Amino acid sequence: MMTGGGLSAAGHVDIRHGHATWAPGAANPAGLAMFKTCQMQIGSMTKAQQRPLVQEFRLLATPVVVFLLVFLGFPAIVNLIYSVSEVSFETLRQPELSGFKNFAAVWSDGAFWQASWFSFRFGLLTAVLECALGLFLAIFLSPLIERRSWLMAILMLPLMVAPALVGLMYRLVLHEFVGPVPYYLWTYFGASLSFLGPGSAFWTLVVVETLQWTPFALLLFYMAYQAIPSEIAEASAMDGARSHHRLWYIELPLMLPTIVVALLIRFIDGFRVFDNVYVLTGSGPGGSTASLSIYIYEAFFKQGAIGKAVAASVILFVVSFAVLYGLNFIASRRKGANR
Amino acid sequence: MTTLRWLVFGIAAFAMNFPILVTLSTSFKSARELSTNPGLWVQAPTLDNYLAVFQVTDRLNIFLYLFNSLSVALIGTVLAVALALPAAYAIARGRLGERTLLPFIVNLRAVPLIIFAIPLYMMFQWLALLDTRLGLGLILSIVNLPLALVILVNAIRDLPGELDEAALMDGASRTQILFRVIAPVCRPAIVTSLIFGFITAWNEFLFGLMLTTSKAVPITVGASFFFAASGGGVQWGVASAVMVVGALPPVLLGLIMYRQISGSMTAGAVKG
Repeated sequence: MMTGGGLSAAGHVDIRHGHATWAPGAANPAGLAMFKTCQMQIGSMTKAQQRPLVQEFRLLATPVVVFLLVFLGFPAIVNLIYSVSEVSFETLRQPELSGFKNFAAVWSDGAFWQASWFSFRFGLLTAVLECALGLFLAIFLSPLIERRSWLMAILMLPLMVAPALVGLMYRLVLHEFVGPVPYYLWTYFGASLSFLGPGSAFWTLVVVETLQWTPFALLLFYMAYQAIPSEIAEASAMDGARSHHRLWYIELPLMLPTIVVALLIRFIDGFRVFDNVYVLTGSGPGGSTASLSIYIYEAFFKQGAIGKAVAASVILFVVSFAVLYGLNFIASRRKGANR
Repeated sequence: MTTLRWLVFGIAAFAMNFPILVTLSTSFKSARELSTNPGLWVQAPTLDNYLAVFQVTDRLNIFLYLFNSLSVALIGTVLAVALALPAAYAIARGRLGERTLLPFIVNLRAVPLIIFAIPLYMMFQWLALLDTRLGLGLILSIVNLPLALVILVNAIRDLPGELDEAALMDGASRTQILFRVIAPVCRPAIVTSLIFGFITAWNEFLFGLMLTTSKAVPITVGASFFFAASGGGVQWGVASAVMVVGALPPVLLGLIMYRQISGSMTAGAVKG
């Protein structure tokens, strides 16, 4: 979420940069592509020698597997059981099987589809805007940043602040009496806009999200841009290529894998958005800004509709993992084809 | 051209940091100035809001929120790295779970976290972990796990295999190699994942909102309490000061992290 997502952002960058960033099929930040393979360390040993080694490796991986089984596996099973049960806060320990009623309830709930549509549209729009802006800034500002890397620190600052706090900050920024934006708009343009009203709330949220996460795209693109070998620029200059030709025919194609990855990450984070939207608009006005995450949260905590909330989260669970594994599959196929 | 670039930089930096600037400026305004001057410029700066923030009341206790955030972020970060390091070694050197465990954990980073929030809530109710720092810290370690694992797997893969082989010849076990040889060499990667993890955990909101109510409330959730109007409406100056204080630790850490990033930038440029 975004969170989670937050600063994990820069982490990807770091990893990414351990490898040739611009090369097609290089390790990608979300790990959606396959990692480079490493040589077998134990290839030269005999089978008998290997066995205790494998056992020891198993032992080393055990804690994380057990931890995940307890804190994700068990809840996932609970989720599945409750999704096909009649359950309320009073009957948590005795769920009664009720078939697919909960799924039917979700499926026929207009609010569920509205939230899905919000999440999809929000993710897509913010991803495209952030990447377009980030790409422009990364290339246009690179001559400045190359010499003064602290400029990047200033641009990266929004990534360090919790999205929930940024959302709260915009409550102040957009407030009709104490907020500077309505104040300046009124003073200089005589305009008074409603930023969180029915027609505008969605767009306000898009701007809020875009302004906070454009630096993420900017950082990725800047480093991909910097990783393009200077020989390529020199060679193309020798061949008489103009700078915009070089950008269009050489540099952007080289950056394409990074661009795809950035679009994907930002879409995912936009799709599952919760924090800033929740603190800024709740789900209002009239449920128009409920993302899927907020829909599930409200079904559970505000309406006490456990069955519905759990069924919706099972749907989201299945769809997310299906899509992610699909992407992994495509990425590994493409990598195989490139070889 | 250079002037134009500076202009674009100025506009971008201003727009993207705008909410932070507004909050910073508002936190130095007196209650009287707030009602007359919504602009960015502070006419009579005062520290009253910060003094008010640190005044503990029954309803609002910023020290508790900060302490909670610190504890859950530490638990969530240290546990994540402690779990990820041995697993990363098994994945990178033993090639164990390269096609199962690794993609699964990495995909966790991209999954909407709300999926697990509801069953975890119910599980925590049974285990009496609701509204405890330990409970929230445990969950935050799941949030941090994907990134820590990817960083550490990549770091170990980049190490030469001779390192392990030499130690194996000397009769060391894999576990000994991990803690005596690999971990010390991977210290930069471990520190990086600790810092990223700390920032992520400190900034987390969804699980804090769902799994805590009073005793273990982290600052991201606690800050929103200051916006719940009590009697005279929201005290914007105080609320701003809370946000400044709550955002400060990750921002400061982020500036440290920034150096590491630029370090790896140059390293990447060499490799590229």
